[in-house]
Amino acid sequence: MKHFIERPRFTCALGGAIATVTALPRAIHILHAPPGCAGNTAWTQMGGCGLQVGGYCGGISIPGTNVQEREVVFGGSDRLQEQIQNTLKVMDADLYVVLTSCVTEIIGDDVDSVIAPFQNDETQIISAETGGFKGNSYLGYEIVLESILKNYVTRGEATVKGRVNLWGIAPSFDVFWRGNLEGLRQLLSRLGLEVNTFFTMDDHLDGIRHASSAQLNIVVSDVFGWQAAKISQEVHGIPYVVSPLPIGPSASDLFLRRVGEALGLSEELIEAVITTENQRYYKLLEPLTDCYNDMDLQRYAAVVGDSNYATAITAFLENDFGWLPQVIVITDTLMEEQQERIVNRLSSLKSGRIPKIIFKGDLTDIAKSIKEHWEGSQTRYGKYVNALSPAFVVGSSLDRPLAQELGAAHLSISFPVSNRAVIDRGYTGYQGGLRLIEDLISAIIVNR
Amino acid sequence: MSYFLQKEPPRREQRLNACIASGGNLSDMTNRKMRCCVPDGERTFTQNNICLLLPALGMMNSIPNSVVLMHGAVGCGSSSHGGNVGVRAGNNHRWGVIKDGTWLSTALNESDVICGGEEKLEAAIREIDEHYKPMIVFVVTGCVPGIIGDDVDGVVQRIQPEIAANILPVHCEGFKTKIWATAYDAVYHAIGRVMLQDTSENLALKKPEKATVNLMNVSSMGRVDELELERLLHTLGLEVNIFPVFSKPEKMYAMTHADLSISTCPTHDDYLLKHLQEKYGIPFVLKHMPIGIGNTSEWLRNVAAFFQLENQVEKIIEEEEAELETALQEFKAFFKGKKVFVSAGEFRALATAILLAELGFEVVAVRSFHHDEFADSEYEKLSKITAKDFPLNIANCQPFEEANLIRRVKPDLFLGHMNGNSTAAKLGIATNVIYNVGLQFVGYQGAYQLARRLYRQLTNPGFNQNISKWVQLPYSEDWYQQDPFAHIKQSEGEV
Repeated sequence: MKHFIERPRFTCALGGAIATVTALPRAIHILHAPPGCAGNTAWTQMGGCGLQVGGYCGGISIPGTNVQEREVVFGGSDRLQEQIQNTLKVMDADLYVVLTSCVTEIIGDDVDSVIAPFQNDETQIISAETGGFKGNSYLGYEIVLESILKNYVTRGEATVKGRVNLWGIAPSFDVFWRGNLEGLRQLLSRLGLEVNTFFTMDDHLDGIRHASSAQLNIVVSDVFGWQAAKISQEVHGIPYVVSPLPIGPSASDLFLRRVGEALGLSEELIEAVITTENQRYYKLLEPLTDCYNDMDLQRYAAVVGDSNYATAITAFLENDFGWLPQVIVITDTLMEEQQERIVNRLSSLKSGRIPKIIFKGDLTDIAKSIKEHWEGSQTRYGKYVNALSPAFVVGSSLDRPLAQELGAAHLSISFPVSNRAVIDRGYTGYQGGLRLIEDLISAIIVNR
Repeated sequence: MSYFLQKEPPRREQRLNACIASGGNLSDMTNRKMRCCVPDGERTFTQNNICLLLPALGMMNSIPNSVVLMHGAVGCGSSSHGGNVGVRAGNNHRWGVIKDGTWLSTALNESDVICGGEEKLEAAIREIDEHYKPMIVFVVTGCVPGIIGDDVDGVVQRIQPEIAANILPVHCEGFKTKIWATAYDAVYHAIGRVMLQDTSENLALKKPEKATVNLMNVSSMGRVDELELERLLHTLGLEVNIFPVFSKPEKMYAMTHADLSISTCPTHDDYLLKHLQEKYGIPFVLKHMPIGIGNTSEWLRNVAAFFQLENQVEKIIEEEEAELETALQEFKAFFKGKKVFVSAGEFRALATAILLAELGFEVVAVRSFHHDEFADSEYEKLSKITAKDFPLNIANCQPFEEANLIRRVKPDLFLGHMNGNSTAAKLGIATNVIYNVGLQFVGYQGAYQLARRLYRQLTNPGFNQNISKWVQLPYSEDWYQQDPFAHIKQSEGEV
């Protein structure tokens, strides 16, 4: 095993936590960190998150202790205490989240005892241990959710029928997070559900505070958001249901059925919504039929992405769009059981075909594996060559040289996305499938 | 003892007595010089910003045939996703090939924190040497190895004889300095110690026949800016080699062959230029930044004086200034009296403020990221040209002070660093970036291009005006009622 990762497709736990708190409504972080962690996240977002940097309070506006050698030697609690006290005067938020860093965790500052005296009815302040060495940015999202559920969300609330929480999409590091969350809210609202997505324009802290009144927690990921769901089950007694990120009609059908079943909704209602949505989806697709067929727009595909996107896009391409995904590379660091889950997911495509599944996060390794598969799949008889062509690489902006070598078209979806501007575009639900088709085809015909 | 004999360079707080916290007026600075600043532990409220690692990566990622190995947690170095945009463009502008930088991470985890990361680092360097075969491996130390006590220099020294690549340890522990200009020293330190050795390959490098200068660029200039300075230096008949960004490792030693080293920003280059003078006897000019009309001319005059080309340069300057002046006429009436606020690294902020005054703007406030002695002369120039006192703030970003100041001085235009314009933008002020390697800022052409951009921005500042009506900055209303410098600690020493 190699002892390094080339161009990792995530940042650290603190970076993920910073982006997550930035995305919370009316929340502000207080970084107990050396100078640089906020700026590092801002530059990462600038280069990898579809040109979206910060938000209400992000980037270099985030308050922080900027610890130095003095704090490393003598401890940083006094500096944190002073910083919190003044943050409450200067900044304007309804929830403050203290985030720790590599440095302050190694020196062992007791953050909870520093914040305790500040907590009262007027001031909501919580903390999360997000030292960068703990893991990647997805973990940072998880740790912040965990702290919110344990320390901010009320306990002992009565269940409100039809109210659900939705997790599994990490702000910023799913570059299309706003649109993806919004797409799922709209989809679930067809079933009459009230959806608490925590991070969109239509969410608010009051809703998050009372997230414990939900009837069900929905996790749209085979990896992310699980810890939150487990904690909520433990602390608030709310059951949860897991689904892969639903992109396009097939996955959305399954998603609606699974959520409907978990909530005991009438089958008739669910099937009626599914029928309406499919009719709409395929009617909208109808005018593309001529060009799709006449221009021979079917492609062999390599899919490179985090565990959410790699599986969801593969399923969409194979099950809905009639493409031929060949190699799937999952780029985030996973435990064995998580890898098994992904393999099972990718082994149950409608066609019964099983693409090659690779777990790698290092750029050179990723490109090498895909090229090897492409070359190994080629047969040649004299001047007759049967290659995986025409081809398409759905990945990140780092995979452009690979696409070029394969002679494939390319679309950046998974982090980093440096070559697209993203505001609230999303790929979830039936609508999201149509957005994805637009983007894939547009990439093919860019020189038309 | 030369700093270059030590493992790592000193912090700038110590070497230059540089500081990052002061609030007052321009006249305070010009009268009291350094003494108005508090060197450390400077504010009772601060915002997080960048650390030296970020600009250091900007330099290292540009070097051809190099690999940057980040020794730290997996997030350190992810800023390279942003920096890579400049690397791609830089490669394209210089060699017509779009190419990414190559950065890697040892991704230190919890068990590394407990057991130490030296073994992982050693294994990583060996693997990189074998698989990438680069000429340079930058081994960059983040906060974690700095705290757990990994002996990075020890590892490098021990294994270098078995490694084909030159290993350059670069110390970028963010908790060691708040002056991120220390980044330039950190990278120069490594280049100076490793790449400027008298090896047989280096000694075989041919010396230039014509008068040649080193033109220093630590990534604050894009290729368009370099071209403008090359153009001007060529008019004096000088050959130009540019270091260190995008310079090929095998040619770095050529900087010891120059007749003169020229800095484009005293904040950047003094550490290396003094070393080149001490060790290789290469004199340097480290004065003025070639941004602005007067400053570009002064910069050029200094170079010409060294080569005793005084008469020649005056003719060039006269022609350049006259042509530019004519071209600027169509903007000047429009700019006249418009209020401008400037915020950036110290030299850049001051040189740009002086340029804006030359263009007819009224400078109403200036913020500099830090302060050291090199800039004293620039404050005097600024004071002379503006002839009016106004707020001056030394701050390593700290946009809360900026927001408060902007509400007070109500500028028509704001020029800030990258990631430093959104505060003004959300207050509805027309903004333009003061630094972005794709745009032109330097020399006479830079002055003209900046004027064009400002004219365009001021003609329709609608984007910022519209957004300001609907979004708020994250500060309490009470904060705007406070003194903008209320959180700066007063110096305990003699003022």
